Amino acid sequence: MSERLFVKVGDTFLKSPLILASGTCNMGRELSEIYNLSILGGLSSKGLTIKPRVGNEGVRVAECKAGMLNSVGLQNPGVEHFIKYDLDFMNTLDTGVIVNVAGHSTEDYIDMVKTLDPHKDKIDALEINLSCPNVKEGCMSIGSDKEQIKKIVGELRKLTDLPLWIKLTPNVTDISSMALAAQEGGADAVVLINTMLGMAIDIKTRRPVLHNNTGGYSGPAIKPVALRMVSECYRVLDIPIIGCGGITEASDVLEFMIAGASAVEIGTASLLIPDAPVFITDELLAWCEENDTDIASLTGTLKLW
Amino acid sequence: MNKDYFCEVISKSMLNEDTALIEFLCPEIASSAVPGQFVNVTCSNFLRRPFGVASVNKDNGTFKVGIKIIGEGTEELASLQEGEGTWILGPLGNGFELNDDKYILVGGGTGVFPVNFLYEKLSSEGRAVKVVQGFRDKSQIIMNDPSYILTTDAGDAGLKGNCCDGLNTLSEDDIKGATVLCVGPMPMMRAVSAWASDKGLNCYVSLEQRMACGIGICLVCVCKIKAEEEGIPFDHKRCCKDGPVFDSKEVIW
Repeated sequence: MSERLFVKVGDTFLKSPLILASGTCNMGRELSEIYNLSILGGLSSKGLTIKPRVGNEGVRVAECKAGMLNSVGLQNPGVEHFIKYDLDFMNTLDTGVIVNVAGHSTEDYIDMVKTLDPHKDKIDALEINLSCPNVKEGCMSIGSDKEQIKKIVGELRKLTDLPLWIKLTPNVTDISSMALAAQEGGADAVVLINTMLGMAIDIKTRRPVLHNNTGGYSGPAIKPVALRMVSECYRVLDIPIIGCGGITEASDVLEFMIAGASAVEIGTASLLIPDAPVFITDELLAWCEENDTDIASLTGTLKLW
Repeated sequence: MNKDYFCEVISKSMLNEDTALIEFLCPEIASSAVPGQFVNVTCSNFLRRPFGVASVNKDNGTFKVGIKIIGEGTEELASLQEGEGTWILGPLGNGFELNDDKYILVGGGTGVFPVNFLYEKLSSEGRAVKVVQGFRDKSQIIMNDPSYILTTDAGDAGLKGNCCDGLNTLSEDDIKGATVLCVGPMPMMRAVSAWASDKGLNCYVSLEQRMACGIGICLVCVCKIKAEEEGIPFDHKRCCKDGPVFDSKEVIW
Protein backbone atom coordinates (compact mmCIF):
# COMPACT_ATOMS: atom_id res chain seq x y z
CA MET A 1 0.00 0.00 0.00
CA SER A 2 1.16 3.48 -0.73
CA GLU A 3 1.71 5.83 2.19
CA ARG A 4 -0.14 8.38 0.08
CA LEU A 5 -3.41 6.81 1.23
CA PHE A 6 -2.62 6.46 4.95
CA VAL A 7 -5.11 8.22 7.20
CA LYS A 8 -5.85 8.48 10.89
CA VAL A 9 -9.26 8.61 12.50
CA GLY A 10 -8.34 10.02 15.88
CA ASP A 11 -5.76 7.57 17.18
CA THR A 12 -6.82 4.81 14.79
CA PHE A 13 -4.46 4.30 11.87
CA LEU A 14 -5.97 3.11 8.57
CA LYS A 15 -3.88 2.26 5.52
CA SER A 16 -6.56 3.67 3.24
CA PRO A 17 -9.50 6.02 3.77
CA LEU A 18 -11.83 3.37 2.30
CA ILE A 19 -13.93 1.34 4.74
CA LEU A 20 -16.68 -1.04 3.70
CA ALA A 21 -19.94 0.12 5.28
CA SER A 22 -21.86 -2.09 7.66
CA GLY A 23 -24.66 -4.07 6.04
CA THR A 24 -23.13 -3.96 2.56
CA CYS A 25 -20.27 -6.42 3.05
CA ASN A 26 -21.69 -8.93 5.55
CA MET A 27 -18.61 -10.13 7.51
CA GLY A 28 -16.27 -9.93 4.51
CA ARG A 29 -16.26 -13.58 3.40
CA GLU A 30 -18.14 -13.18 0.14
CA LEU A 31 -16.20 -10.12 -1.05
CA SER A 32 -12.89 -11.71 -0.04
CA GLU A 33 -13.60 -14.30 -2.74
CA ILE A 34 -13.79 -11.50 -5.30
CA TYR A 35 -10.89 -9.19 -4.39
CA ASN A 36 -8.14 -8.81 -1.83
CA LEU A 37 -9.69 -6.82 1.02
CA SER A 38 -6.27 -5.87 2.41
CA ILE A 39 -6.34 -2.81 0.11
CA LEU A 40 -9.04 -1.37 2.39
CA GLY A 41 -8.66 0.78 5.46
CA GLY A 42 -11.27 -1.34 7.19
CA LEU A 43 -14.42 -3.35 7.08
CA SER A 44 -17.45 -2.72 9.28
CA SER A 45 -19.32 -5.87 10.27
CA LYS A 46 -23.00 -6.44 9.68
CA GLY A 47 -24.95 -4.66 12.45
CA LEU A 48 -24.93 -6.93 15.49
CA THR A 49 -27.30 -7.38 18.40
CA ILE A 50 -27.17 -9.39 21.61
CA LYS A 51 -29.61 -12.00 20.33
CA PRO A 52 -29.81 -13.32 16.75
CA ARG A 53 -32.36 -11.53 14.60
CA VAL A 54 -34.12 -12.93 11.51
CA GLY A 55 -34.88 -9.40 10.32
CA ASN A 56 -37.99 -8.17 8.56
CA GLU A 57 -40.28 -10.42 6.54
CA GLY A 58 -41.50 -9.95 2.99
CA VAL A 59 -40.01 -7.71 0.33
CA ARG A 60 -36.91 -5.97 1.67
CA VAL A 61 -35.65 -4.06 -1.34
CA ALA A 62 -37.07 -1.46 -3.69
CA GLU A 63 -35.20 0.04 -6.60
CA CYS A 64 -35.36 3.82 -7.00
CA LYS A 65 -33.77 6.36 -9.30
CA ALA A 66 -30.08 6.64 -8.38
CA GLY A 67 -30.53 4.52 -5.30
CA MET A 68 -32.39 1.82 -3.46
CA LEU A 69 -34.47 1.28 -0.36
CA ASN A 70 -33.78 -1.59 2.01
CA SER A 71 -35.63 -2.82 5.05
CA VAL A 72 -33.49 -5.77 6.10
CA GLY A 73 -34.09 -4.98 9.77
CA LEU A 74 -30.74 -5.93 11.28
CA GLN A 75 -30.78 -9.63 10.42
CA ASN A 76 -27.69 -10.97 12.16
CA PRO A 77 -26.48 -14.11 13.94
CA GLY A 78 -26.03 -12.39 17.31
CA VAL A 79 -22.83 -11.14 18.89
CA GLU A 80 -21.80 -14.45 20.51
CA HIS A 81 -21.99 -16.24 17.17
CA PHE A 82 -20.04 -13.37 15.60
CA ILE A 83 -17.26 -13.66 18.18
CA LYS A 84 -17.12 -17.42 17.73
CA TYR A 85 -17.28 -17.65 13.93
CA ASP A 86 -16.62 -14.28 12.30
CA LEU A 87 -14.26 -12.12 14.34
CA ASP A 88 -11.20 -14.29 13.79
CA PHE A 89 -12.01 -14.50 10.11
CA MET A 90 -12.21 -10.70 9.87
CA ASN A 91 -8.79 -10.58 11.51
CA THR A 92 -7.31 -12.65 8.68
CA LEU A 93 -8.26 -10.02 6.12
CA ASP A 94 -5.34 -7.74 6.94
CA THR A 95 -7.54 -4.67 7.22
CA GLY A 96 -9.12 -2.60 9.99
CA VAL A 97 -11.76 -4.56 11.91
CA ILE A 98 -14.76 -2.39 12.80
CA VAL A 99 -17.61 -4.01 14.72
CA ASN A 100 -21.04 -2.47 14.21
CA VAL A 101 -23.06 -2.49 17.43
CA ALA A 102 -26.87 -2.16 17.42
CA GLY A 103 -29.57 -2.58 20.03
CA HIS A 104 -33.11 -1.87 21.15
CA SER A 105 -32.28 -0.10 24.39
CA THR A 106 -29.42 1.50 26.30
CA GLU A 107 -29.03 -1.78 28.20
CA ASP A 108 -28.60 -3.68 24.92
CA TYR A 109 -25.77 -1.39 23.84
CA ILE A 110 -24.13 -1.72 27.27
CA ASP A 111 -24.34 -5.53 27.09
CA MET A 112 -22.92 -5.47 23.57
CA VAL A 113 -19.90 -3.37 24.52
CA LYS A 114 -19.31 -5.47 27.64
CA THR A 115 -19.41 -8.61 25.48
CA LEU A 116 -17.04 -7.22 22.86
CA ASP A 117 -14.52 -5.41 25.07
CA PRO A 118 -12.70 -8.61 26.18
CA HIS A 119 -11.89 -9.17 22.47
CA LYS A 120 -10.44 -5.71 22.00
CA ASP A 121 -7.12 -7.01 20.68
CA LYS A 122 -9.07 -8.21 17.61
CA ILE A 123 -11.07 -5.01 17.12
CA ASP A 124 -9.91 -1.63 15.81
CA ALA A 125 -13.09 0.31 16.57
CA LEU A 126 -16.68 -0.12 17.65
CA GLU A 127 -19.17 1.55 15.38
CA ILE A 128 -22.20 2.35 17.50
CA ASN A 129 -25.26 2.17 15.28
CA LEU A 130 -27.68 4.84 16.49
CA SER A 131 -29.21 5.13 13.06
CA CYS A 132 -30.78 1.99 11.58
CA PRO A 133 -34.24 3.08 10.37
CA ASN A 134 -35.66 -0.44 10.00
CA VAL A 135 -36.26 -1.55 13.57
CA LYS A 136 -39.05 -0.42 15.85
CA GLU A 137 -36.98 0.35 18.92
CA GLY A 138 -33.47 1.59 19.54
CA CYS A 139 -31.08 2.66 16.80
CA MET A 140 -32.64 5.61 14.96
CA SER A 141 -35.06 6.45 17.76
CA ILE A 142 -32.08 6.88 20.09
CA GLY A 143 -30.02 8.64 17.44
CA SER A 144 -32.73 11.25 16.83
CA ASP A 145 -32.52 12.62 20.38
CA LYS A 146 -29.36 14.46 21.36
CA GLU A 147 -29.85 13.90 25.09
CA GLN A 148 -30.13 10.15 24.53
CA ILE A 149 -27.07 10.17 22.25
CA LYS A 150 -24.97 11.95 24.87
CA LYS A 151 -26.19 9.65 27.63
CA ILE A 152 -25.67 6.38 25.79
CA VAL A 153 -22.23 7.36 24.44
CA GLY A 154 -21.26 8.46 27.95
CA GLU A 155 -22.32 5.09 29.36
CA LEU A 156 -20.41 3.16 26.70
CA ARG A 157 -17.34 5.36 27.14
CA LYS A 158 -17.03 4.12 30.73
CA LEU A 159 -16.97 0.49 29.55
CA THR A 160 -14.20 0.41 26.96
CA ASP A 161 -11.01 2.01 25.72
CA LEU A 162 -11.82 0.91 22.16
CA PRO A 163 -12.46 3.79 19.78
CA LEU A 164 -16.18 4.55 19.69
CA TRP A 165 -17.41 5.68 16.29
CA ILE A 166 -21.01 6.84 16.44
CA LYS A 167 -22.97 6.25 13.24
CA LEU A 168 -25.66 8.90 13.03
CA THR A 169 -28.91 9.16 11.17
CA PRO A 170 -29.62 11.95 8.68
CA ASN A 171 -33.31 11.80 9.62
CA VAL A 172 -33.03 14.71 12.04
CA THR A 173 -33.57 18.44 11.87
CA ASP A 174 -30.16 19.47 13.13
CA ILE A 175 -27.36 16.97 12.49
CA SER A 176 -24.60 19.08 14.05
CA SER A 177 -26.32 19.08 17.45
CA MET A 178 -26.49 15.27 17.28
CA ALA A 179 -22.81 15.04 16.37
CA LEU A 180 -21.91 17.45 19.17
CA ALA A 181 -23.90 15.32 21.63
CA ALA A 182 -21.85 12.28 20.56
CA GLN A 183 -18.66 14.27 21.08
CA GLU A 184 -19.77 15.44 24.52
CA GLY A 185 -20.54 11.84 25.45
CA GLY A 186 -16.95 10.91 24.68
CA ALA A 187 -17.10 9.59 21.11
CA ASP A 188 -13.85 9.21 19.18
CA ALA A 189 -15.49 9.88 15.83
CA VAL A 190 -18.85 10.18 14.12
CA VAL A 191 -19.92 8.35 10.97
CA LEU A 192 -22.14 10.46 8.70
CA ILE A 193 -24.60 9.29 7.36
CA ASN A 194 -26.71 6.15 7.62
CA THR A 195 -29.63 5.74 5.18
CA MET A 196 -32.43 8.24 4.73
CA LEU A 197 -35.92 7.08 5.61
CA GLY A 198 -37.95 6.60 2.44
CA MET A 199 -40.87 4.85 0.77
CA ALA A 200 -41.72 3.29 -2.58
CA ILE A 201 -45.28 2.62 -3.73
CA ASP A 202 -46.74 0.03 -6.10
CA ILE A 203 -49.39 1.87 -8.10
CA LYS A 204 -51.34 -1.29 -8.98
CA THR A 205 -51.77 -2.52 -5.43
CA ARG A 206 -51.55 0.91 -3.76
CA ARG A 207 -49.28 -0.66 -1.22
CA PRO A 208 -45.73 0.20 -0.23
CA VAL A 209 -43.28 -2.03 -2.09
CA LEU A 210 -41.54 -2.82 1.19
CA HIS A 211 -43.50 -4.92 3.64
CA ASN A 212 -41.98 -2.78 6.37
CA ASN A 213 -43.72 0.15 4.59
CA THR A 214 -40.59 2.29 4.88
CA GLY A 215 -36.92 1.61 4.35
CA GLY A 216 -33.50 3.18 4.28
CA TYR A 217 -32.60 5.05 1.09
CA SER A 218 -29.01 4.67 -0.06
CA GLY A 219 -26.96 5.23 -3.18
CA PRO A 220 -25.70 8.21 -5.19
CA ALA A 221 -28.96 10.11 -4.66
CA ILE A 222 -28.12 10.76 -1.00
CA LYS A 223 -24.54 11.95 -1.58
CA PRO A 224 -25.34 15.69 -1.63
CA VAL A 225 -27.18 15.40 1.68
CA ALA A 226 -24.30 13.46 3.24
CA LEU A 227 -21.73 15.97 1.96
CA ARG A 228 -23.68 18.88 3.41
CA MET A 229 -23.93 17.13 6.77
CA VAL A 230 -20.22 16.28 6.85
CA SER A 231 -19.35 19.88 6.02
CA GLU A 232 -21.75 21.26 8.62
CA CYS A 233 -20.48 18.97 11.36
CA TYR A 234 -16.81 19.47 10.49
CA ARG A 235 -17.18 23.15 11.32
CA VAL A 236 -18.39 22.51 14.88
CA LEU A 237 -16.67 19.24 15.88
CA ASP A 238 -13.27 18.57 17.41
CA ILE A 239 -13.47 14.81 16.74
CA PRO A 240 -12.99 13.29 13.27
CA ILE A 241 -15.72 12.38 10.81
CA ILE A 242 -16.07 9.29 8.63
CA GLY A 243 -18.11 10.23 5.57
CA CYS A 244 -20.67 7.88 4.05
CA GLY A 245 -23.45 8.19 1.52
CA GLY A 246 -23.52 7.33 -2.17
CA ILE A 247 -19.78 7.03 -2.74
CA THR A 248 -19.24 5.19 -6.01
CA GLU A 249 -16.06 6.71 -7.47
CA ALA A 250 -12.78 8.30 -6.46
CA SER A 251 -14.03 11.86 -6.96
CA ASP A 252 -16.76 11.18 -4.39
CA VAL A 253 -14.10 10.22 -1.85
CA LEU A 254 -12.17 13.42 -2.58
CA GLU A 255 -15.32 15.50 -2.13
CA PHE A 256 -16.11 13.90 1.22
CA MET A 257 -12.56 14.46 2.46
CA ILE A 258 -12.52 18.08 1.33
CA ALA A 259 -15.86 18.52 3.15
CA GLY A 260 -14.20 17.31 6.36
CA ALA A 261 -14.08 13.51 6.41
CA SER A 262 -10.92 11.79 7.67
CA ALA A 263 -12.04 8.51 6.10
CA VAL A 264 -15.08 7.27 4.18
CA GLU A 265 -17.36 4.27 3.97
CA ILE A 266 -18.41 2.63 0.73
CA GLY A 267 -21.79 0.94 0.94
CA THR A 268 -24.32 0.48 -1.83
CA ALA A 269 -21.60 0.69 -4.52
CA SER A 270 -20.42 -2.77 -3.43
CA LEU A 271 -23.88 -4.18 -4.19
CA LEU A 272 -23.63 -3.02 -7.80
CA ILE A 273 -19.93 -3.48 -8.51
CA PRO A 274 -18.43 -5.73 -5.81
CA ASP A 275 -14.85 -4.73 -6.56
CA ALA A 276 -15.57 -0.99 -6.90
CA PRO A 277 -13.04 -0.24 -4.08
CA VAL A 278 -10.26 -1.67 -6.27
CA PHE A 279 -10.89 0.90 -8.98
CA ILE A 280 -11.46 3.69 -6.46
CA THR A 281 -8.16 2.89 -4.74
CA ASP A 282 -6.25 3.00 -8.05
CA GLU A 283 -7.84 6.30 -8.99
CA LEU A 284 -7.18 7.84 -5.58
CA LEU A 285 -3.52 6.85 -5.79
CA ALA A 286 -3.22 8.26 -9.29
CA TRP A 287 -4.80 11.50 -8.13
CA CYS A 288 -2.42 11.78 -5.18
CA GLU A 289 0.58 11.15 -7.45
CA GLU A 290 -0.65 13.65 -10.00
CA ASN A 291 -1.17 16.31 -7.35
CA ASP A 292 1.89 15.27 -5.35
CA THR A 293 -0.12 15.11 -2.15
CA ASP A 294 -1.18 12.67 0.53
CA ILE A 295 -4.89 11.93 0.79
CA ALA A 296 -5.01 12.89 4.50
CA SER A 297 -4.03 16.47 3.70
CA LEU A 298 -7.37 16.97 1.96
CA THR A 299 -9.51 16.71 5.08
CA GLY A 300 -11.49 19.87 5.74
CA THR A 301 -9.89 21.95 3.01
CA LEU A 302 -13.26 23.14 1.76
CA LYS A 303 -13.32 26.87 1.04
CA LEU A 304 -16.87 28.06 1.60
CA TRP A 305 -18.16 31.05 -0.31
CA MET B 1 -11.26 -13.98 -7.98
CA ASN B 2 -12.98 -11.70 -10.48
CA LYS B 3 -16.53 -12.61 -11.44
CA ASP B 4 -17.63 -9.48 -13.31
CA TYR B 5 -17.24 -9.73 -17.08
CA PHE B 6 -18.15 -7.48 -19.97
CA CYS B 7 -20.10 -9.86 -22.21
CA GLU B 8 -20.93 -9.32 -25.87
CA VAL B 9 -24.21 -10.46 -27.38
CA ILE B 10 -23.50 -13.20 -29.94
CA SER B 11 -27.06 -13.99 -30.91
CA LYS B 12 -30.53 -13.02 -29.86
CA SER B 13 -34.03 -14.21 -30.65
CA MET B 14 -37.50 -13.31 -29.42
CA LEU B 15 -39.30 -16.43 -28.15
CA ASN B 16 -42.62 -14.61 -27.96
CA GLU B 17 -43.62 -10.96 -27.79
CA ASP B 18 -42.18 -10.35 -24.34
CA THR B 19 -39.41 -12.92 -23.92
CA ALA B 20 -35.93 -12.84 -25.44
CA LEU B 21 -33.26 -15.53 -25.49
CA ILE B 22 -29.80 -13.93 -25.57
CA GLU B 23 -26.47 -15.67 -26.11
CA PHE B 24 -23.51 -13.91 -24.51
CA LEU B 25 -19.82 -14.53 -25.10
CA CYS B 26 -18.01 -15.28 -21.85
CA PRO B 27 -15.75 -18.35 -21.73
CA GLU B 28 -15.35 -18.02 -17.94
CA ILE B 29 -19.09 -18.25 -17.25
CA ALA B 30 -19.69 -20.82 -20.03
CA SER B 31 -17.05 -23.16 -18.63
CA SER B 32 -18.01 -22.93 -14.97
CA ALA B 33 -21.80 -22.46 -14.78
CA VAL B 34 -23.92 -25.40 -13.65
CA PRO B 35 -27.72 -25.74 -13.95
CA GLY B 36 -29.54 -23.73 -11.27
CA GLN B 37 -26.90 -21.01 -11.13
CA PHE B 38 -27.69 -17.48 -12.24
CA VAL B 39 -25.98 -14.33 -13.48
CA ASN B 40 -26.57 -10.73 -12.35
CA VAL B 41 -26.77 -8.40 -15.33
CA THR B 42 -26.12 -4.66 -15.42
CA CYS B 43 -28.71 -2.39 -17.07
CA SER B 44 -29.32 1.37 -16.98
CA ASN B 45 -31.56 1.08 -13.95
CA PHE B 46 -29.95 1.15 -10.53
CA LEU B 47 -29.79 -2.54 -9.66
CA ARG B 48 -28.60 -5.47 -11.73
CA ARG B 49 -31.15 -8.01 -12.96
CA PRO B 50 -30.71 -11.72 -12.09
CA PHE B 51 -31.37 -14.47 -14.68
CA GLY B 52 -30.99 -18.23 -14.46
CA VAL B 53 -28.53 -19.67 -16.97
CA ALA B 54 -30.53 -21.34 -19.78
CA SER B 55 -27.73 -23.08 -21.64
CA VAL B 56 -23.96 -23.14 -22.09
CA ASN B 57 -21.74 -23.90 -25.07
CA LYS B 58 -18.28 -24.58 -23.71
CA ASP B 59 -16.76 -24.98 -27.19
CA ASN B 60 -17.85 -21.51 -28.27
CA GLY B 61 -17.46 -19.97 -24.81
CA THR B 62 -21.04 -18.75 -24.79
CA PHE B 63 -24.03 -19.00 -22.49
CA LYS B 64 -27.69 -18.11 -22.88
CA VAL B 65 -30.21 -16.42 -20.62
CA GLY B 66 -33.93 -15.94 -21.12
CA ILE B 67 -35.23 -12.45 -20.40
CA LYS B 68 -38.93 -11.85 -19.83
CA ILE B 69 -39.85 -8.19 -20.08
CA ILE B 70 -41.27 -7.10 -16.72
CA GLY B 71 -40.19 -3.47 -16.50
CA GLU B 72 -37.70 -0.92 -17.82
CA GLY B 73 -34.59 -2.91 -16.91
CA THR B 74 -35.66 -6.16 -18.56
CA GLU B 75 -37.04 -4.23 -21.55
CA GLU B 76 -33.65 -2.63 -22.12
CA LEU B 77 -31.81 -5.94 -21.75
CA ALA B 78 -34.24 -7.77 -24.02
CA SER B 79 -33.55 -5.15 -26.70
CA LEU B 80 -29.77 -5.72 -26.72
CA GLN B 81 -28.55 -6.49 -30.23
CA GLU B 82 -25.70 -8.58 -31.59
CA GLY B 83 -22.40 -6.81 -31.01
CA GLU B 84 -23.70 -4.87 -28.02
CA GLY B 85 -22.80 -5.93 -24.49
CA THR B 86 -23.13 -5.41 -20.77
CA TRP B 87 -21.41 -6.26 -17.49
CA ILE B 88 -22.40 -9.63 -16.09
CA LEU B 89 -21.51 -11.01 -12.68
CA GLY B 90 -21.49 -14.79 -12.48
CA PRO B 91 -21.98 -17.62 -12.29
CA LEU B 92 -23.66 -17.08 -8.90
CA GLY B 93 -25.43 -19.20 -6.29
CA ASN B 94 -25.57 -22.93 -5.75
CA GLY B 95 -26.79 -24.99 -8.68
CA PHE B 96 -28.53 -28.37 -8.50
CA GLU B 97 -26.47 -31.29 -7.27
CA LEU B 98 -26.78 -33.90 -9.99
CA ASN B 99 -25.66 -37.16 -8.45
CA ASP B 100 -28.66 -39.32 -9.36
CA ASP B 101 -29.43 -41.39 -12.45
CA LYS B 102 -33.09 -40.61 -12.89
CA TYR B 103 -34.79 -37.22 -12.91
CA ILE B 104 -38.15 -35.59 -13.36
CA LEU B 105 -37.81 -31.91 -14.30
CA VAL B 106 -40.68 -29.47 -13.91
CA GLY B 107 -40.62 -25.94 -15.31
CA GLY B 108 -42.94 -22.99 -15.61
CA GLY B 109 -42.67 -19.24 -16.10
CA THR B 110 -39.03 -18.17 -16.47
CA GLY B 111 -38.17 -21.43 -14.71
CA VAL B 112 -38.23 -23.09 -18.12
CA PHE B 113 -34.77 -21.62 -18.77
CA PRO B 114 -32.87 -23.33 -15.93
CA VAL B 115 -34.91 -26.47 -16.68
CA ASN B 116 -33.63 -26.31 -20.27
CA PHE B 117 -30.04 -26.21 -18.97
CA LEU B 118 -30.81 -29.17 -16.69
CA TYR B 119 -32.32 -31.14 -19.58
CA GLU B 120 -29.40 -30.43 -21.90
CA LYS B 121 -26.86 -31.54 -19.32
CA LEU B 122 -28.68 -34.62 -18.01
CA SER B 123 -29.78 -35.93 -21.41
CA SER B 124 -26.30 -35.42 -22.89
CA GLU B 125 -24.96 -37.55 -20.07
CA GLY B 126 -27.44 -40.28 -20.91
CA ARG B 127 -29.39 -40.06 -17.70
CA ALA B 128 -33.10 -40.82 -17.57
CA VAL B 129 -35.02 -37.54 -17.77
CA LYS B 130 -38.70 -36.73 -18.01
CA VAL B 131 -39.75 -33.10 -18.39
CA VAL B 132 -43.08 -31.50 -17.52
CA GLN B 133 -43.80 -27.93 -18.56
CA GLY B 134 -46.71 -25.79 -17.40
CA PHE B 135 -47.96 -22.58 -19.01
CA ARG B 136 -50.99 -20.32 -18.69
CA ASP B 137 -51.98 -20.76 -22.34
CA LYS B 138 -50.64 -21.58 -25.79
CA SER B 139 -49.20 -18.09 -26.34
CA GLN B 140 -46.84 -18.53 -23.39
CA ILE B 141 -45.22 -21.74 -24.59
CA ILE B 142 -41.45 -21.37 -24.93
CA MET B 143 -38.38 -23.62 -24.72
CA ASN B 144 -40.56 -26.60 -25.55
CA ASP B 145 -39.45 -29.95 -26.91
CA PRO B 146 -41.80 -32.57 -28.39
CA SER B 147 -40.58 -35.08 -25.80
CA TYR B 148 -41.88 -32.93 -22.93
CA ILE B 149 -45.23 -33.38 -21.22
CA LEU B 150 -46.92 -30.06 -21.91
CA THR B 151 -49.73 -28.63 -19.80
CA THR B 152 -51.70 -25.38 -20.09
CA ASP B 153 -54.19 -23.91 -17.66
CA ALA B 154 -56.36 -22.84 -20.61
CA GLY B 155 -56.18 -26.25 -22.26
CA ASP B 156 -55.49 -24.74 -25.71
CA ALA B 157 -52.31 -26.80 -26.02
CA GLY B 158 -51.11 -30.01 -24.44
CA LEU B 159 -52.91 -31.36 -21.44
CA LYS B 160 -55.45 -29.06 -19.76
CA GLY B 161 -54.37 -28.50 -16.18
CA ASN B 162 -51.29 -27.74 -14.18
CA CYS B 163 -47.90 -29.37 -13.79
CA CYS B 164 -49.18 -31.87 -11.24
CA ASP B 165 -51.76 -33.08 -13.76
CA GLY B 166 -48.83 -33.53 -16.11
CA LEU B 167 -46.84 -35.39 -13.48
CA ASN B 168 -49.78 -37.71 -12.91
CA THR B 169 -49.51 -38.97 -16.49
CA LEU B 170 -46.04 -40.40 -15.75
CA SER B 171 -45.79 -44.17 -15.46
CA GLU B 172 -44.81 -46.01 -12.29
CA ASP B 173 -41.50 -46.77 -13.98
CA ASP B 174 -40.85 -43.10 -14.70
CA ILE B 175 -41.57 -42.13 -11.12
CA LYS B 176 -39.89 -44.89 -9.16
CA GLY B 177 -36.64 -43.69 -7.59
CA ALA B 178 -36.58 -40.43 -9.52
CA THR B 179 -35.44 -37.09 -8.12
CA VAL B 180 -37.70 -34.12 -8.87
CA LEU B 181 -36.18 -30.75 -9.79
CA CYS B 182 -38.59 -27.84 -10.17
CA VAL B 183 -38.15 -24.22 -11.21
CA GLY B 184 -41.15 -21.98 -11.62
CA PRO B 185 -43.56 -19.67 -9.83
CA MET B 186 -43.92 -20.27 -6.08
CA PRO B 187 -47.41 -21.87 -6.27
CA MET B 188 -46.12 -24.35 -8.88
CA MET B 189 -43.06 -25.25 -6.82
CA ARG B 190 -45.18 -25.65 -3.71
CA ALA B 191 -47.61 -27.98 -5.51
CA VAL B 192 -44.83 -30.01 -7.14
CA SER B 193 -43.05 -30.26 -3.81
CA ALA B 194 -46.23 -31.68 -2.24
CA TRP B 195 -46.66 -34.09 -5.18
CA ALA B 196 -43.09 -35.36 -4.78
CA SER B 197 -43.50 -35.71 -1.05
CA ASP B 198 -46.66 -37.73 -1.61
CA LYS B 199 -44.75 -40.08 -3.93
CA GLY B 200 -41.84 -40.32 -1.50
CA LEU B 201 -39.45 -38.62 -3.94
CA ASN B 202 -36.70 -36.14 -3.18
CA CYS B 203 -37.46 -32.72 -4.61
CA TYR B 204 -35.27 -29.68 -5.07
CA VAL B 205 -36.55 -26.25 -6.05
CA SER B 206 -34.90 -23.02 -7.18
CA LEU B 207 -36.41 -20.09 -5.29
CA GLU B 208 -36.81 -16.58 -6.59
CA GLN B 209 -36.73 -13.33 -4.63
CA ARG B 210 -36.22 -9.63 -5.29
CA MET B 211 -32.48 -9.38 -5.30
CA ALA B 212 -29.78 -6.71 -5.15
CA CYS B 213 -26.12 -7.78 -4.88
CA GLY B 214 -26.51 -11.44 -5.94
CA ILE B 215 -23.42 -12.42 -3.94
CA GLY B 216 -24.73 -12.64 -0.37
CA ILE B 217 -23.63 -9.34 1.12
CA CYS B 218 -26.83 -7.29 1.38
CA LEU B 219 -29.34 -9.81 2.80
CA VAL B 220 -32.36 -8.40 0.97
CA CYS B 221 -33.30 -11.57 -0.98
CA VAL B 222 -33.92 -13.92 1.93
CA CYS B 223 -36.38 -16.82 1.95
CA LYS B 224 -37.87 -18.70 4.85
CA ILE B 225 -36.13 -21.99 5.50
CA LYS B 226 -36.68 -24.38 8.41
CA ALA B 227 -34.35 -23.47 11.27
CA GLU B 228 -31.27 -25.58 11.93
CA GLU B 229 -31.24 -24.64 15.60
CA GLU B 230 -34.08 -25.05 18.04
CA GLY B 231 -35.81 -22.03 19.49
CA ILE B 232 -35.84 -20.04 16.25
CA PRO B 233 -39.09 -19.96 14.21
CA PHE B 234 -37.18 -20.15 10.90
CA ASP B 235 -33.97 -19.11 9.20
CA HIS B 236 -33.86 -16.30 6.68
CA LYS B 237 -31.47 -17.82 4.15
CA ARG B 238 -30.06 -15.75 1.31
CA CYS B 239 -31.67 -16.83 -1.95
CA CYS B 240 -28.59 -15.67 -3.91
CA LYS B 241 -25.82 -17.24 -1.84
CA ASP B 242 -27.34 -20.05 0.25
CA GLY B 243 -29.65 -20.91 -2.66
CA PRO B 244 -31.27 -20.43 -5.03
CA VAL B 245 -31.57 -24.23 -4.97
CA PHE B 246 -33.05 -25.66 -1.78
CA ASP B 247 -34.33 -29.06 -0.70
CA SER B 248 -38.11 -28.60 -0.90
CA LYS B 249 -38.50 -30.23 2.51
CA GLU B 250 -36.51 -27.36 4.03
CA VAL B 251 -38.62 -24.60 2.48
CA ILE B 252 -41.35 -22.95 4.55
CA TRP B 253 -44.08 -22.48 1.93
